[in-house]
Amino acid sequence: MFGYVNIYKPELKMKQYDKYKAYYCGLCRTLKEKYSPLGQVTLSYDMTFLVILLTSLYEDPVRLSRHRCIAHPTKKHPMLQNSISEYVADMNIALTYYHLLDDWQDEKSIIGLTGSTLLKGYYKRIRKEYPRQCKAIEKGLKALRDCEESNEVNIDVVSRCFGEMMAEVFDYKEDLWGEGLRKVGFYLGKFIYIMDAYDDLEEDIKKKQYNPLARMSRDKNFDSKVKAMMTLLLAECTAEFEMLPCLIDVEILRNILYEGVWSKYLNKQKEKGTKKGQ
Amino acid sequence: MINDPYSVLGVSPSASNDEVKRAYRELSRKYHPDSYVDNPLSDLAEEKFKEVQEAYDMIMKQREGGYSSWNTSSSQSSNYSSGSGEEDVRMQAVANYINSRHYIEALNVLRSINNRTARWYYYSAIANVGIGNNIEAMDHAQRAYMMEPGNPDYANLVNQLQWRTRRYQGSSVNSGSGYGMDDLCCDLWCADTCCECMGGDLIPCC
Repeated sequence: MFGYVNIYKPELKMKQYDKYKAYYCGLCRTLKEKYSPLGQVTLSYDMTFLVILLTSLYEDPVRLSRHRCIAHPTKKHPMLQNSISEYVADMNIALTYYHLLDDWQDEKSIIGLTGSTLLKGYYKRIRKEYPRQCKAIEKGLKALRDCEESNEVNIDVVSRCFGEMMAEVFDYKEDLWGEGLRKVGFYLGKFIYIMDAYDDLEEDIKKKQYNPLARMSRDKNFDSKVKAMMTLLLAECTAEFEMLPCLIDVEILRNILYEGVWSKYLNKQKEKGTKKGQ
Repeated sequence: MINDPYSVLGVSPSASNDEVKRAYRELSRKYHPDSYVDNPLSDLAEEKFKEVQEAYDMIMKQREGGYSSWNTSSSQSSNYSSGSGEEDVRMQAVANYINSRHYIEALNVLRSINNRTARWYYYSAIANVGIGNNIEAMDHAQRAYMMEPGNPDYANLVNQLQWRTRRYQGSSVNSGSGYGMDDLCCDLWCADTCCECMGGDLIPCC
């Protein structure tokens, strides 16, 4: 995953930041417990957001523990874990497995081959437990490949492949909140896809690889057009989010959806600004 | 249908979203079917549980401004009859599909029509919103509006599509980080249309 769905630290209170970190470390811990240190490597901010969202909505009790970890071996860190971190860890492995497999088939990447081979056993087990989500991931990535091959330029068509995958992953239990969660996931997924395409644009153009924004990037006001598109998606995403009865940690969730998701875009703008200034 | 969803949740209509959510949480815990297994009151509790659910949905939908009430009666459009008879029939089919929420079918028929009038873009925008293609929807709604600026349906559609964006940007402004007020006017490629169709009142600084 990509890590765009992150917090905006300056606006968070200290205790909220500590709690966010505890969720993040908790997910990392769950990945390690279930899927060895290899699983830990797949940890992402995007998936931490899902843990906090589902925990807030389902008010699932959390266990607090303190552990050392490889990244911070000297100090013990607080970690929050629950049954949702287990679900999200499973989804994370499934998404990573398919992503790696795709890289291997697509670019003959060695990391892709090695990674997907190593994760294959885990994936098979997850697929048995969550066939609905795993089928959606397979279908979404196949649809993305088709878009690449046909050089699709309609951004709605391309990004919805990723949005539909996320919709299924966000729909934790297919219950009365399922529809709302699907919509949050769908629009957030579309946002992530476009943000990623925007982030990779220069490199894709240089390497002559497919990028759905390539044609549009020649327009004037390209940056503000992309921003307007992403705003439109986040507006839908948050409208659906605000209708869900989330109360616990809602400040963290809002910080991410209204501020944090723009970090990468703003950094990119800064980079462009300095390049022009030189 | 519930008459007064606020009284079901026991909150006032001026309650904040979070207060509504808190009341909803409390009541749905109280009436949750799991707490009434083998209890003679279980039917009553289930009914209450559903009522609470419905009241909550009603309030949230009202507050978040869901999309509603598109005008698909063709008599509204002045340029409408310029197409061939065959195309009139197809446009009517599109309107019917939209009214019954069959958006994919509506888009399929739209694709078969070559004469892209303002009405065509209007319908295409509505159908695209329906399936979550909101980028294309915004683009087409604006085309319809630019082709026939005097048509209240088109202006209304553009305005409705921008409602959530304004709410989102308003919320970001409140918490005041890098994504703020300066961007509100200059960044949306639709800002002009939005100001015009709202009589210039919407974003005072435009």
